[in-house]
Amino acid sequence: MALSGMRGLSVFISDVRNCQNKEQERLRVDKELGNIRTRFKNEKGLTPYEKKKYVWKMLYIYMLGYDVDFGHMEAVSLISAPKYPEKQVGYIVTSCLLNENHDFLRLAINTVRNDIIGRNETFQCLALTLVGNIGGRDFAESLAPDVQKLLISSSCRPLVRKKAALCLLRLYRKNPDVVNVDGWSDRMAQLLDERDMGVLTSCMSLLVALVSNNHDAYWSCLPKCVKTLERLARNQDVPQEYTYYGIPSPWLQVKTMRALQYFPAVEDPNTRRSLFEVLQRILMGTDVVKNVNKNNASHAVLFEALALVMHLDAEKEMMSQCVALLGKFIAVREPNIRYLGLENMTRMLMVTDVQDIIKRHQAQIITSLKDPDISIRRRALDLLYGMCDVSNAKDIVEELLQYLSSADFAMREELSLKAAILAEKFAPDLSWYVDVILQLIDKAGDFVSDDIWFRVVQFVTNNEDLQPYAALKAREYLDKPAIHETMVKVSAYILGEYSHLLARRPGCSPKEIFIVIHEKLPTVSTSTIPILLSTYAKILMHTQPPDQDLQRQIWAIFSKYESCIDAEIQQRAVEYHALSMKGAALMDILAEMPKFPERQSLLIKKAEDSEADTAEQSAIKLRTQQQTSNALVLTDQRPANGTPQVNQLGLVKVPTMSNADPSTAEQGLTHANGALTIVDPQPPSTTSPDLLGDLLGTLAIEGPPGPVTAPQSDPRVASGLEGGVDALAIATVEDQTNAVQPIGDIAERFHALCLKDSGVLYEDPHIQIGIKADWRAHQGRVVLFLGNKNLGALSSVQALILSPSHLKIELSLVPDIIPPRAQVQCPLEIINLHPSRDSAVLDFSYNFGTQLVNVKLRLPAVLNKFLQPIPISAEEFFPQWRSLSGPPLKLQEVVRGVRPMLLAEMANLFNSLNLMVCPGLDPNANNLVVSTTFYSENTRAMLCLIRIETDPADRTQLRMTIASGDPTLTFELKEFVKEQLISIPITSRVATPPMAPQGQPLSPPTALLSSDPGAMLAGLL
Amino acid sequence: MIRGVIIMNDQGKPRLIKFYEFQPVEKQHELVRSIYRILCSRAENVSNFVKVDSLFGPDVRLVYKTFATLYFVFVFDNSENELAMLDLMQVFVETLDKCFSNVCELDVVFNFSKVHTILDEIILGGQVLETSSSEVVKAVEEISKMERNANSILPASWQGR
Repeated sequence: MALSGMRGLSVFISDVRNCQNKEQERLRVDKELGNIRTRFKNEKGLTPYEKKKYVWKMLYIYMLGYDVDFGHMEAVSLISAPKYPEKQVGYIVTSCLLNENHDFLRLAINTVRNDIIGRNETFQCLALTLVGNIGGRDFAESLAPDVQKLLISSSCRPLVRKKAALCLLRLYRKNPDVVNVDGWSDRMAQLLDERDMGVLTSCMSLLVALVSNNHDAYWSCLPKCVKTLERLARNQDVPQEYTYYGIPSPWLQVKTMRALQYFPAVEDPNTRRSLFEVLQRILMGTDVVKNVNKNNASHAVLFEALALVMHLDAEKEMMSQCVALLGKFIAVREPNIRYLGLENMTRMLMVTDVQDIIKRHQAQIITSLKDPDISIRRRALDLLYGMCDVSNAKDIVEELLQYLSSADFAMREELSLKAAILAEKFAPDLSWYVDVILQLIDKAGDFVSDDIWFRVVQFVTNNEDLQPYAALKAREYLDKPAIHETMVKVSAYILGEYSHLLARRPGCSPKEIFIVIHEKLPTVSTSTIPILLSTYAKILMHTQPPDQDLQRQIWAIFSKYESCIDAEIQQRAVEYHALSMKGAALMDILAEMPKFPERQSLLIKKAEDSEADTAEQSAIKLRTQQQTSNALVLTDQRPANGTPQVNQLGLVKVPTMSNADPSTAEQGLTHANGALTIVDPQPPSTTSPDLLGDLLGTLAIEGPPGPVTAPQSDPRVASGLEGGVDALAIATVEDQTNAVQPIGDIAERFHALCLKDSGVLYEDPHIQIGIKADWRAHQGRVVLFLGNKNLGALSSVQALILSPSHLKIELSLVPDIIPPRAQVQCPLEIINLHPSRDSAVLDFSYNFGTQLVNVKLRLPAVLNKFLQPIPISAEEFFPQWRSLSGPPLKLQEVVRGVRPMLLAEMANLFNSLNLMVCPGLDPNANNLVVSTTFYSENTRAMLCLIRIETDPADRTQLRMTIASGDPTLTFELKEFVKEQLISIPITSRVATPPMAPQGQPLSPPTALLSSDPGAMLAGLL
Repeated sequence: MIRGVIIMNDQGKPRLIKFYEFQPVEKQHELVRSIYRILCSRAENVSNFVKVDSLFGPDVRLVYKTFATLYFVFVFDNSENELAMLDLMQVFVETLDKCFSNVCELDVVFNFSKVHTILDEIILGGQVLETSSSEVVKAVEEISKMERNANSILPASWQGR
């Protein structure tokens, strides 16, 4: 018996098991492989049974980790064996051993197809399983229709159909064209009526795959999903064998809710209500019980329900209920539930308005940092990181610091990076930020990357108030007995620059500072010594009049390193020695470092980059794309609380070059630092992305602005550099208006939004403006989603509404700055005063780097948004129609140049405009009767009736009669409908497309010259 | 999607490996070893979840559970629900238990072909195929019957080689 007994195979397995060590095992396996190889070679003598046995052995050997590079053909050939056992082995082993592109698979396609279309159900199952596991494009092209047929066939057993569903899913993934949406969406809806739970589960997975790619085509499945959920969760209408620990098929419940998360919203109020009833039942009806398996199952459903509630943008009350539940979960004993509680709370952060409720659980989350399970600790860290904002940054960062000393090594690097980022983003004051970073270095120096200390140096350099404080702190750390090398670097750097600010304090004389730093020199590595040498040179420079003794000591050190084997150290020693002989002139050469150009933190950028790439299309990912809000945005959204903003750390505004192309930006930066070695042409790729990288790589000597006493080595270069800095500054401040092209057609986007309530209004490489509207009678609430797509902030963001006289529009505050990768929501309140076809315009502008972008966009607050369809009966219609007799209340017009469309299409168009087509009122089948209610503050609710008479012989013309109780409304509505029917080429009259890129910046010659050292030198010579 | 199912013993010896996205054999073993290292370091009474982005790419996680001397591991991405995966693993184990009556490591070792058959009735192409263990048992029994019938007409001398 193949499944339970194949003696040869069992003997081989025992032999392998009895091997004492890996070597013996390898010998035994090699022997077997040799044996199989020879047997396969003279295939003639092989019985199907033997073949089968050898193929199983191959699979076993393969599982043990040995490469089996032969015998694939034999495995594949078993697929065409006439008897079930051989065939089965062929199918199973082939799908384990071969990948989808293997040539041999192509040979098997015909056999597989014959098994699929054949009558033998067991063969069908085998074939479907193979294709479902490893079927590639070839299979998709030749088998998809057959598989579809099996899935919808009523004569097939569920056993076959459920496999066909998943097989089709695989083929669809490999080649989405195999599912023809037009015909399939209805089929799919029918399949969801399936009673067999196995088939239904598979179909639901198929639906998830389909809707994740194209939800629009599958709207009809949405109510079916809600029904399925009701059947399971409410009615518990499930056969006994599909009840798992008392829970009606948790998998199907989960899959169904997952499918629902791919639809952007549930529009139909009845469906929405039923859905929320079920969700409420799930949320409230789940308790933690003793049985682990039951717990797992019920909570699988519960967590999926939570995710769906978050997706559906439920009312705040329900959201708070969810947070409360999660708050309960993160404190329970069951570790799985704690883990998922934290993870879901992190997702919850994306929901607006609940952050404050989440913050109430801060203490418990901090406790989870000490959980025995590292998986849970990591989730807690993620959550703390996500929920941190200005209000709680101090508490959270201090907790993280405290935890750092006891945290496992695996987490320390992540922990210190996160602490550094949070400290930077949300520092209530800068001295606190310095404290945090120094503590970080002190506690976990090995895990603090260079970027972190580079960043603190940038802040200290750019903020004069901070310099004495930082110097004092650095001095204090140097007194500690054993400090980390990074601490030596950062304190030496800071003290070199700013220790003179401490000179009056005890223990802070130049000499004392020198001694305490120099004590560390024997303990540090080669990379730190150059920094110490710079520090000595700077100390010496600040000691005026010179302290002879100190000078002698430092000179001695310089001369000692003049023969150092390390080129960097040697060069510095030689140059500093020579320079420091120059006495007072040193003052200018070694003056303080200039401020750094403001730039985005490399740390934050890194963190964002790592968050950025996720491969799989998932509901969560889609959701994140829809609302990328995180703590960053949150603080920006609350400018009212008067706390410092994200940008407060970059207090200095220097003309930035952050938007220039990378190589010139690097050049510019090097210039700004006045580095001496600029003449060495450095390939841009090797320049460090961070300022201090440049700074430490080259000599940190700075010529202050204005006339400079440049080092004699090459005075022309240094003065040329100064010119360069200025020229660059001028060049980059120039406006370069709208060098940015929109993505997609603005007019098309507008027209699409006239028919639906959410979508993208505008997009360019930097920003995406999405819109979500909710219309109630004459009022509307429109939310603009301003999403920054970049790693850099968008500044000077401005939005003005130019509203026509009939609309009253209030725009809430638009933040000046949109942080990197953040999304900001700006609600608009709209009131319709009287009927008009005019549309409002959003005048939107922002700066990205030096680019100013300005666009004018029509807002889809158009007439039809204030219409509500209303069904009307013949008894109501005719008296109304008669009572509105003649102009100006009833207008008639023959419209020509109509876009030709079938009557059904026209009916669809009207319905999508909220003009409800009422069939059966007009006896002539070529006519349409339409009714709707118009809402405005002046007219209140006003019934409008329309009759369209078409001519089947000539679809380009029709007669339209429109009646309402208000003359303006009748006229405006007539014109509006006309506009919709006539094919006018879409004009971009209002929404001016951004202009083409402007030519050159105004002062390019100097800028160009200065960015090319060679050209610059040539000019000077 | 479920990326893979692995059964290994507490020594790290693989007992069943099934990836639903093709992995070359060396890679398979590297993954099995890395997973074993992770699982070994986990204490008792901790959660059953581990994020394994570093091994499989972003957002991939695994659930594992120990049954006597065996680790059962499901690797999957964020389109699956963690606890539902754990439930499915339980179904898999309960099914094995029914098929082998009180399953132990040796059953899995010597009947790895049957374990493959059972798994194929539960997961197909990385998707949940069947969640009712009685349905799975039914399907597997049907298959066994087919084999018995086919074998019974084989000459007796062919058996037992």
